[in-house]
Amino acid sequence: MTLQSNLVRIVIVGAGMAGSKLAHDLMQQQNAHYSITLIGEEAQVGYNRIMLSSLLANDISDAEMPLVDTEKMQREGIHIISGDGVVSMDLAGKILVLESGQSVSYDKLVIATGSRARILPIDGASASNVMGFRTWQDVDQMTQLDNAQPICVIGGGLLGLEAAVGLAKRGHVVTVFHRSKWLLNRQLDVESAQLLLKRLEGMGIQFRLGESPASFLQSKEGLVTHAVCQNGEQMAANLVVMAAGIAPEVALAKAAGLKVDQAILVDEKMQTSHSDVFALGECCEFDQQTFGLVAPIWTQIKVLMAVLNGEEARFAIEPTPTKLKVSGVNLFSVGRIQPTQGDSCIFFKDVGANHYRKLVVNDGLLVGAILYGNVADGSWYFQLIQNKTNISDMLELLIFGEAYCRPQVA
Amino acid sequence: MTATIAKTTCPYCGVGCGVNFTVPDSTSKSGLTEVPPVSGDLDHPANFGRLCVKGSSLSQTLQSDDRLLAPSVNGDVVSWDSALETVSGKIAQVVKDHGPDSFAFYLSGQILTEDYYVANKLAKGFIGTANVDTNSRLCMASAVVGYKRAFGSDTVPCNYEDLELCDLLIMVGSNAAWTHPILYQRIVEAKKQRPNMKVVVVDPRETATCDIADLHLAIKPGSDAAIFSFLLQHSVQAGVLDNGFISRHTNGFKEALNQALESTPTLTSAANFCGISDEDLMQLANWWVETPETVTFYSQGINQSSSGVDKCNAIINCHLATGRIGKEGAGPFSITGQPNAMGGREVGGLANQLAAHMDFATPGALELVQRFWQAPNMATENGLKAVDLFQAMEEGKIKVAWIMSTNPMVSLPDTAQVRRALEKCELVIVSDCKAHTDTTAMADVLFPATGWSEKDGTVTNSERRISRQRGLLPAPGEAQHDWWAICEVAKRLGYQSAFSYRNVHEIFAEHAALSAFENSGKRDFDIGHFSQITKSEYDALTPVQWPVPKGRPEGTKRMFEDGRFFTPDKRAKFVPIVPILPLQEKTSDWPFTLNTGRVRDQWHTMTRTGDAALLTKHTDQPYVEIHPKDARQLGIEDKTLVRITSPYGEVLLKAKISRAVAPGNVFVPIHWTQQFSNASVVSNLIPQVVDPLSGQPESKHAQVSLEAVKNCAYGVVISATPLETLDFTYWCYVPSEHGYHYEVVWPVGQSVASLQSLFTDGHQEKGEWLEYTNPKTQQIRLAYIDNQKLALAVYLHPKPESISCDWLAMTLVNNDVLSDLERMAILVGSPANVEDKGEIVCSCFQIGSKQIEKAVAGGVCSVEGLGAKLKCGTNCGSCLPELKHFIPIITELSA
Repeated sequence: MTLQSNLVRIVIVGAGMAGSKLAHDLMQQQNAHYSITLIGEEAQVGYNRIMLSSLLANDISDAEMPLVDTEKMQREGIHIISGDGVVSMDLAGKILVLESGQSVSYDKLVIATGSRARILPIDGASASNVMGFRTWQDVDQMTQLDNAQPICVIGGGLLGLEAAVGLAKRGHVVTVFHRSKWLLNRQLDVESAQLLLKRLEGMGIQFRLGESPASFLQSKEGLVTHAVCQNGEQMAANLVVMAAGIAPEVALAKAAGLKVDQAILVDEKMQTSHSDVFALGECCEFDQQTFGLVAPIWTQIKVLMAVLNGEEARFAIEPTPTKLKVSGVNLFSVGRIQPTQGDSCIFFKDVGANHYRKLVVNDGLLVGAILYGNVADGSWYFQLIQNKTNISDMLELLIFGEAYCRPQVA
Repeated sequence: MTATIAKTTCPYCGVGCGVNFTVPDSTSKSGLTEVPPVSGDLDHPANFGRLCVKGSSLSQTLQSDDRLLAPSVNGDVVSWDSALETVSGKIAQVVKDHGPDSFAFYLSGQILTEDYYVANKLAKGFIGTANVDTNSRLCMASAVVGYKRAFGSDTVPCNYEDLELCDLLIMVGSNAAWTHPILYQRIVEAKKQRPNMKVVVVDPRETATCDIADLHLAIKPGSDAAIFSFLLQHSVQAGVLDNGFISRHTNGFKEALNQALESTPTLTSAANFCGISDEDLMQLANWWVETPETVTFYSQGINQSSSGVDKCNAIINCHLATGRIGKEGAGPFSITGQPNAMGGREVGGLANQLAAHMDFATPGALELVQRFWQAPNMATENGLKAVDLFQAMEEGKIKVAWIMSTNPMVSLPDTAQVRRALEKCELVIVSDCKAHTDTTAMADVLFPATGWSEKDGTVTNSERRISRQRGLLPAPGEAQHDWWAICEVAKRLGYQSAFSYRNVHEIFAEHAALSAFENSGKRDFDIGHFSQITKSEYDALTPVQWPVPKGRPEGTKRMFEDGRFFTPDKRAKFVPIVPILPLQEKTSDWPFTLNTGRVRDQWHTMTRTGDAALLTKHTDQPYVEIHPKDARQLGIEDKTLVRITSPYGEVLLKAKISRAVAPGNVFVPIHWTQQFSNASVVSNLIPQVVDPLSGQPESKHAQVSLEAVKNCAYGVVISATPLETLDFTYWCYVPSEHGYHYEVVWPVGQSVASLQSLFTDGHQEKGEWLEYTNPKTQQIRLAYIDNQKLALAVYLHPKPESISCDWLAMTLVNNDVLSDLERMAILVGSPANVEDKGEIVCSCFQIGSKQIEKAVAGGVCSVEGLGAKLKCGTNCGSCLPELKHFIPIITELSA
């Protein structure tokens, strides 16, 4: 350590995707004089959390999970501490204390503690077989189940559906409770959600829409055995997966005195209320928004790296397309998908072919898009939104995609 | 056995082109006979091998799925015997109760001379009525009377060669480029060979024929006669009178000249009357003066007029005065519109004719014909001409009408009156080869007739040339020749011996014999050479121009070469002419002058050309041509819907904004019937104004008002099956190679649901709907996929738009399962050059398997390399495992 005293000590708390990638990318920089420490509470560091759904669905193996090559990172000098979470942060003294009692000093601190599954306050939800779907360990727990278990998934968002599909593929009997009237209500509209519903029902998953369980019944051993529906009906459930949203992990930051609202408040330089302390990823809040998708977080990493290097960079929120990682299901959603005043919606519907498109346009601009089935034009629509391309001349054929509009653009 | 090529004659316009027809050696299993495309007959003197697009498409019209195949009475299919009994019984009854004039034939310039002959004989000699009129009344009745007034006979002096030999061709009221394309092509070719040849077109519209015009006189509608009135008097001043000819061969010159001087005393007076410049009229006059070899070529623009006969005589006067008749490259040449209008004239198949170019007024004619026919009940005076005939029908005077091969519900003026007449008539018999026409819809009795390629007999073209139209295909179903049906009725009326023809050539021989009977040069029409014709001679008959008297088998190229006419004193007669304008006058209520006519690729009421999809490519829908200035004032945009109203009715048509019509004038084509469009029959607007002498209606003239139909949504419907309900503001069926194509107009505000229920009305909903809705452009597009195949596509837009329907129509018959993108392309109306990305692998950047395979084939050998090239896997990375599978495993060679 003493040999590196001329280096800036950067400590990253949280070795999830944001933290690991930041460490990796910082190391890749030429001429950067950093000493990097990456601290994670999970045993596994630097894996691609997004792939947990694929891992659960048996589409990939463990070997395909890493996001970064941690061994190589270590060889190149990054100090990685795993399975040892931070328990307190002294911002004045610029020192952290870990679970193991070890303390770590820093010059610059980056908080990337991510989020946890939100456990809904339903009677009986405190049982040990009520779990989130956030970590490799969660997947391990699910894969160790016996065959054909009745399982309830709470939440029909992206994560809940990916969990449901993964579990259904493993032969379990899955019921999804979803509070909204339609699936992926933040990404889809009623019609596209209907197509998705049909598809997922075809995989054997059952749905209870517009409904959360009233309560969970527990066995003598304190395990959930049944979910109780709003109408009193009881559904057997040997496992409950809570996928009804995430809660940014802000306990440490709060305790350390950083300003926190829904998450740790940062400015466009990713800086928290304390100089030399930065936050990114799912634990941060910028402009009243939190982040659950990877694309803006990757941007945050780029911004933060520049800031650390003393360069000019600002983070700004841009629409981010979302998709569902269920093989055989193609959907794409970006921007404002529910029209507001002044918006118009252009539709293409081919229910028979499970092909649906909705574009939201406003004042010559494309502001939102939903594609289901054939999503090949998604990136083009995304570009049109990002580049604020005037689409007035393309209105007639816009929904049919780039191939029909390209000659008009040129 | 090989197919044989037979020579026959085209059934369309009066040019009468020879057609080579490949007779198939057998019929296919479907029962429909596959006939290869026809070609022009190199040996036929009308066309020398050429055919226009209508003629070339004849074989396509033989596949009609709307043939009338069995007789019916009051909608019930019955045997021929029963139908014939019904008809003959009713004729006998009304003749007995109300007299012979309670019966009428309404015939057609499309039936053959032999059909005409027996109809005329039955009515005028046996039933005893001259109520035998024909759609030729609408076509060239004025020309007939004009010729008869001048020559004492209905004699076309010229032949087609004269069009090529003349140095000045004045085309009046003729858009020959579209209506008589082969003659026009011959003229074009002649003008190319002899660039000094001048062509002048006199027509209110700038038509396609003006392409070759050295001068176009865009006259005020109907003002034609003043031009020739002026040319007559100018001929005197310019000293181009043929005084010798006038004095030796004519009467009445002085009176005609005096009238011309009174009517058109000066150049300016004539030019003003016609609404043209002095210079233009003078240019024509100068050419007229300079050019002895002048042909005046005229057609419906002259004939369809309340003063049509006078216009004809105004033209003929000029030719008589200058002796420009009976010579090569000179003459007044009326061109007929129908394939056998001339044949009808020859047998006397008009109410004001008796038979064989004899009139009731011809001294001795009545007795002559009675003797020849051995007729028991000769009609003794003229019958009712078409318009009068239908008026008498409405008045209840005509109780049985037999309509043959024509569509008066479309072609006669004032459709509402025609409907009332047919409704009133106790028994309407319609003989047709089509099951569904606007007129068959009015019939009590339907007789299935043979059609072109089945009918067997002769026709006469505009240059007096008799050609065989040969029966080459078997009659489908129970279809019979018209002459057979007439003779069967005649026999049942008790006239066995006079109508027991064993073969059609016997009728022709009898017709020829009558033409020669006690003729000896008194009458122009003499084809006595054929009075003993045998079946084999008849079958081998080659085209020949009448007269063909005994001893002159080669026929007669040109008439009046000796200056002798067929008046009692053998002199031609000048007729004093007072040019008048059409009877209907412009008023503030009816401010627009309507002209009617033809489009290039359709013929008459589309009963045949409507079967050839190719022929809709030129003009797919009816239209009203409007000058841009008028359109602007009325708020009418191109291709939008226009309501045209006259005191007689209204039509709905799409606007075609064009400077081809003058401001204040509009033009509407005549072809589209209710079988093709809901409200486009232009006759609805036309008053029953007729020429007092010829009875020919002024069908090219009506006063109308126009208004834009607002709040319309314009649609295109492509369907695999005919639409069962056509509940639209406007619809037009556009014949298509595959499937059924409709252009439609709805009121705005259609919803997807209402459209869907409109088209699936009464059907089980087993198929799948595709929808495109765009509130920004107000587009709605729907498609219905049934059993993986396109069944219906509907496009709706607030503005008329053109969808390329060919690709869609092909999609209707495409048997491959449609891909997602092909299904989507249906709603676009065309396939895209979409790069087939394959299955999407990288969702973030939408990179598909085929793109990746292409990159790998192009040398990329790592996942990183793919990322660098295609960006795939560089965002969330979730596709990286899949990307790895695309990288080929390279077996390392030993280092």
